[in-house]
Amino acid sequence: MSELLRIEGLQVHFPIRRALTDVIRGVGPLAVRAVDGIDMTIQKGEVLALVGESGSGKTTTGRVIVKLTRQTAGRITFDGQDVSNLWGTGRLRSYRKRVQLIFQDPYETLDPKQTIHDFVAEPLEVNGIGANAAERETMITKSLEDAGLRPASRFAFRYPHELSGGQRQRVVIAGALAVGPELVVADEPVSMLDVSIRTELLKLMLDLREVRNLTYLFITHDLSIAWVIADRIAVMYLGKIMEIGPANKVISVPRHPYTAALVSVAPSPEPPAPGERAKRTILVGETPDAAAIPKGCRFNTRCPLVFDRCRVEEPPLIDVGDGQSAACWLAERATSAGGISDMLPNAKRRLEPAAAGPASPAAQQLASPAD
Amino acid sequence: MTERIGEQAGQEIPDTVAIPADATVAPATAAEIRGRRQWPLPKLAVPDAPLLEVRDLKTYFKLRDGWVKAVDGVSFGLADGEALGLAGESACGKTTTALSLMQLLPSNGRIRGGSVELFGIDLVPKSEVAMQRYRWREISMVFQGAMNALNPVIRVRDQIAEPLRYRLGQPEATSTARAVELLDMVGIPRRRSGAYPHELSGGMRQRAMIAMALACDPAIVIGDEPTTALDVMVQAQILELLERLRRELGLSLILITHDLSVLAETCDRVLVMYAGRVAEEGPVSRVFTAPRHPYTRKLVGSFPDLRGDRRQLAVIPGQPPDLLTPPPGCRFAPRCEFAMPVCTEVVPPEVRFSDGVRVACHLFPTSDVETVSTGASAPASAAPAAPA
Repeated sequence: MSELLRIEGLQVHFPIRRALTDVIRGVGPLAVRAVDGIDMTIQKGEVLALVGESGSGKTTTGRVIVKLTRQTAGRITFDGQDVSNLWGTGRLRSYRKRVQLIFQDPYETLDPKQTIHDFVAEPLEVNGIGANAAERETMITKSLEDAGLRPASRFAFRYPHELSGGQRQRVVIAGALAVGPELVVADEPVSMLDVSIRTELLKLMLDLREVRNLTYLFITHDLSIAWVIADRIAVMYLGKIMEIGPANKVISVPRHPYTAALVSVAPSPEPPAPGERAKRTILVGETPDAAAIPKGCRFNTRCPLVFDRCRVEEPPLIDVGDGQSAACWLAERATSAGGISDMLPNAKRRLEPAAAGPASPAAQQLASPAD
Repeated sequence: MTERIGEQAGQEIPDTVAIPADATVAPATAAEIRGRRQWPLPKLAVPDAPLLEVRDLKTYFKLRDGWVKAVDGVSFGLADGEALGLAGESACGKTTTALSLMQLLPSNGRIRGGSVELFGIDLVPKSEVAMQRYRWREISMVFQGAMNALNPVIRVRDQIAEPLRYRLGQPEATSTARAVELLDMVGIPRRRSGAYPHELSGGMRQRAMIAMALACDPAIVIGDEPTTALDVMVQAQILELLERLRRELGLSLILITHDLSVLAETCDRVLVMYAGRVAEEGPVSRVFTAPRHPYTRKLVGSFPDLRGDRRQLAVIPGQPPDLLTPPPGCRFAPRCEFAMPVCTEVVPPEVRFSDGVRVACHLFPTSDVETVSTGASAPASAAPAAPA
């Protein structure tokens, strides 16, 4: 696999309007640091999932990649070419043919007065793709059918309100595919849909990867969806990547306490076994404001494993092998079978009589056998 | 720097509370729970009647083209201190069922049949004025989308005090003090109680909504997708809060959600609905681990589970039926892989199994097991006799 996209030191800061008194006194935050220094690469043909809670900067990262938002600093390389500053150049249009975006809400993406056919035809006409109308028609039909709307003739002249939510999202996918992109940035493409329809669409997206040689950046808040679709997962928190690595590694052997906490609270349709409930690590409080990011490690205010160094020095992404890295000072020490999950003191268990008082990590390890 | 950011922003949320391993088991008997009530039972209450008994509920919506049968013959029961989950996809009638219990239906909605008995009192024939005795005082609801459900120009504390003032006639000082106490109980510190909704985060607003639902000390709280719009970590916090409140206050919960995993973690029993009817009902541990109805099987199978198999998700082909003209027979038949000729003609009767599960599906012949017409909660018997 070769590299398709490389992001280095990406920062997106949104300026805050300050009150005049604050400007004069020189106080108050200057900017919301939505994305605050991200490095990552996407290989050709892979699905990289960007997971994070609201306000983690995952959508902003996606928008920078498709050039809908300007970065404050950082470099983006696509297929070997620097695409950091394409604005105002003719290359922007050709870049956008190769990189497409799928939005979350198919109800808002589609124009209620435009037929399905016209929605898919528009990017072709705008970009001058296809030699003549007949060729474009073939491409439209193919896009619709690839997106699972078969036969295309049955759907082409319908309006969005005549379609179900799942069908609408298929139309949006068909529109994104029409121009023949190489990279598709999918921003929460299934979060508005019912579970049964969700599965179909995830399968469709994986099939299309084979048929159309696509690469996906899949943005989601749902770790379990990321785990279903992704080859690699990147977990974001407050504008930075906390952990990145192969999906199974990140889920089963997390090396960052934030990932471990997310995994532990990820609900499962399997009812919990009697002891299972006690294994959850629920973080206290809420994600801090991105205009006032804590000093040191940005996760230190909520981290159950915080120690002095975390409050002063921000850990870089530390490579722990097998393509996995985590931004945590403990990442290299969490080498047991369950990763850093084994080191997490469990708030609930801590208060139970059997394990009263702060248990040592070793005791915790014994108490929670790795899955 | 030892202070936490959450505290800086005035968002003290109490540390996670110890939950004994058997927390899911209802801690008290019905008599104990009723003994804890702040208010006497309604005058008409039948002393030993079950808390809630819904029989053959039919709620339709009037449209220009006819009646949409949103809820069409749903029966279930709810015991004191129990948590029941209503599961199903969009438009399967979950919310309509809940709104029927509260009689808060939109103007074109009508209860066309069945009964809703609370303490043995049928609420369906009650007038709007008579309903006010029960609404919020006996059954309250946490609405979906805390952002829109709170009034943006009234302080959170005053919004919670409102039902106390109007429903219970408490003076302002008492009701305000009680509102602050309620906010404290759900994890909003006293000094934040004077905040306006926009000053609180999504999770805090949802906590405030829960406090409001608890204001009149109701017997039943209905949560309509209470965690849907929230982040996973906040969702976990809210679910934990609900669990704690249920244990401490002896609440009976009806939790409505499309997310089965939320139900698996919090409920005792689950009712799976499809197109306005009950597909399957039973103890969570039975329904989710050994689903019998083909729809439940698919629904459970379509949930990604970090602890299960990757990329082995089930797909349900097709779409739910149009409830203006629902298919005769089983409403799931057009999408069912096991559909038989009888399925498209005859409505499947509900079949009850000895492990407390009931299923409406022709795959389970009624000759094998006892057929039931109402959805009273069954005694939990250990031996499963499922042909599944």
